[in-house]
Amino acid sequence: MKCAEFQRALPYIIDGGGTAEEQEHLRSCNICADLVQDLRYIAEQAKLLVPMEDPSPRVWNGISKTLEREGLVKPAPARRGLLGPQRQSWGFLAPLAAVSALAVGLYIYNGSNRAEQTTTAQQSGEQPAMAQVADDSAQDDQQVLELVAQHQPSMRQTYEQNLKSVNAYIRDAKASLQQNPDDNEAKEYLMQAYEQKAMLYQMAARSGE
Amino acid sequence: MTQAKKILATGISEAEAIERAKAGDSESFEALYGLHKRRVYSLCLRMTGNTAEAEDLTQEAFLQLYRKIATFRGESAFSTWLHRLAVNVVLMHLRKKGLPEISLDEAMEPQQEDGPKKDIGARDNVLAGSIDRVNLERAIESLPPGYRIIFVLHDIEGYEHNEIAEMMGCSIGNSKSQLHKARMKLRDLLKISRAEKAVKH
Repeated sequence: MKCAEFQRALPYIIDGGGTAEEQEHLRSCNICADLVQDLRYIAEQAKLLVPMEDPSPRVWNGISKTLEREGLVKPAPARRGLLGPQRQSWGFLAPLAAVSALAVGLYIYNGSNRAEQTTTAQQSGEQPAMAQVADDSAQDDQQVLELVAQHQPSMRQTYEQNLKSVNAYIRDAKASLQQNPDDNEAKEYLMQAYEQKAMLYQMAARSGE
Repeated sequence: MTQAKKILATGISEAEAIERAKAGDSESFEALYGLHKRRVYSLCLRMTGNTAEAEDLTQEAFLQLYRKIATFRGESAFSTWLHRLAVNVVLMHLRKKGLPEISLDEAMEPQQEDGPKKDIGARDNVLAGSIDRVNLERAIESLPPGYRIIFVLHDIEGYEHNEIAEMMGCSIGNSKSQLHKARMKLRDLLKISRAEKAVKH
């Protein structure tokens, strides 16, 4: 079987199936094997993409006005605020969420001087602010997972997967910014990833209440 | 994250919020919106590639949800129901705009770009381990609309080809063919991106 023939069939067999001849071609042809490997890898990575962006507040404003106009909602009572009664028992995790947001600010607004500062700091033996935050972040993640394991053991694996995924986003966005500090899209991804991480911490904190 | 998300900021479960929303409780509507807005908006944004359109479609999806919420019986997960509704809203919108037709003829006839790949030195250029999420998101945004829709529905959102075929009004074979083309295009875009990075360094 030639590559052209195999690749014509590929859309219909890549997720399983294929004749014995097609399977044999895949085993024996490095080029087609690499192609299949790449395409499957892309599909796998796509599954790991998580929703990262929130719509602007105008969306909810539009929804609520329409709901009221159509009479689908009762007039709201005196509001306590979106988050309900203020909860004071986030414990040690609330400052960690604040540290994450602070780290974002430090990282983004240091701009193009970051790489130079990092290199200089490393040469002088100092640990850059971001590297320190990264070290602390791994320990914080571990504390979060221990908290969840204690209060919601069935959810530990889910939290672990979500933290792994959001940390990967943070890592990738930082890598993009290292290469191009003016990459606004990467800055936005980084900000959103930190916000998502802060949300995970907050939810874990609430699980312990 | 399913159970954790069900404990909403106001302390009530999602199931309770749904029942209260059916009764017209505005705070419950808002709580459900807060819980699901990100996923719905991300879906709309990935499928349309346009922020303003995505916001309008997100609004429309939630409005349709609230108008129909009384009919939700819990046979499927609420998020699944909402998600499917959002997909239908986006597809309806794209059809009105002139969704790129998926032609059976296009799927069956080999095209120049579909010729066999004979990358020289391909063994050294596999993508495995070299994709980062930021570049993948960028590459997806760059896809032609028809490819992007199928890729988002299948590889990101997890719909099967028979479901996509039903939603899009095409055959399963067309869905598979378009998905393949989308992945091939992404492969090319990601390799170009990787090569450009290598040149810079």
